[in-house]
Amino acid sequence: MGKEKTIPIIAIILLLIGNFCAVYVHANQISKDTITINQEEYSIDQIFSIAEPKTIETDEGIKSGISLFDLMNKIGISCPTCNKFTFKAKDGYQQTVDLETLKTGILTDYSRIYFSDTAHALWVSDVVEIEVS
Amino acid sequence: MNKRLIVGIILFGSLWGFSEVIIGSTIADAGVPSGGIMTGFFAIPFLVFSRLMYRKPGMQLGMGLVAGSLRIFNPFIGCHVCSAIAIMAEGALFELIFYKISFDFRELKSLTTQASIGIVTSYTIFIGGYIVTQILTPIVAGSGFYLENLIFFMPRILSAGILPALIASITVPLIISAKKLDISIKDKLYYPTALSVSALCWILVISSWLLFA
Repeated sequence: MGKEKTIPIIAIILLLIGNFCAVYVHANQISKDTITINQEEYSIDQIFSIAEPKTIETDEGIKSGISLFDLMNKIGISCPTCNKFTFKAKDGYQQTVDLETLKTGILTDYSRIYFSDTAHALWVSDVVEIEVS
Repeated sequence: MNKRLIVGIILFGSLWGFSEVIIGSTIADAGVPSGGIMTGFFAIPFLVFSRLMYRKPGMQLGMGLVAGSLRIFNPFIGCHVCSAIAIMAEGALFELIFYKISFDFRELKSLTTQASIGIVTSYTIFIGGYIVTQILTPIVAGSGFYLENLIFFMPRILSAGILPALIASITVPLIISAKKLDISIKDKLYYPTALSVSALCWILVISSWLLFA
């Protein structure tokens, strides 16, 4: 089969994969007002009443929220072996950080994670779950 | 590598980097999906046009390195590390895809094939750049790469490639048609113009950073 036929077939296959994934993402998008932390549900108001407020400086300016490290301590996650904290967004995006990075982070009242001094890829938006392992 | 080609790499790499920094950041600020738009409207046309014009292997890889470097010089908006990695990866992936296609695109006679190569190239380099960024950025940031994070995000990455693919299905045939005009520039005009335009791109990007940082 020549390139005149092969290239359009590959193009159609790629567009079908893209469209199928778009439908899958839309169907599996999580929509909820709470954040699951180690299988327990917390509302943003609850989280903000539990943890200490914290302000950090990022390369996008000053950001305010609650301290992630303090939140983990207050809800009883302080085991010495827990060193992986995975933040999951409603669209499937997720990032994992270690304890040292977590100490620099905040959670805002619009469910966004910020860290001072890290790549923006770690700043997860629309957080619906925090998994500790 | 000849002098004309090196200057071409600097010129097209600088134009690509300039558009990513200045136009891309403006589009992102407006809340529009800038990555896909930039790949379809700017990255792919620059890559295809330079391939047709210079017909030399390795040029697009060099352009990606120049454009990515320019992105690093302007970190005041968005994630400069992620963007720079994505741009460099796009240049490298373009080289891989076009390795088997002749430099004057003789195979791509019909409009359907031209639009299709636009879709294949744009979709592949966009999602490829996206995946490379998802792997390298956490490593560069020092937090480490976790495969499960990438796997869970793969459907979103694969769906995000549709927009740049559809844009490139229009821009690539237009670029191939534009090349038929057979523009040739004499060395006396080529070198000063190319280097001046490149320098202007770098000056504007760096000064925008100094002004707004």
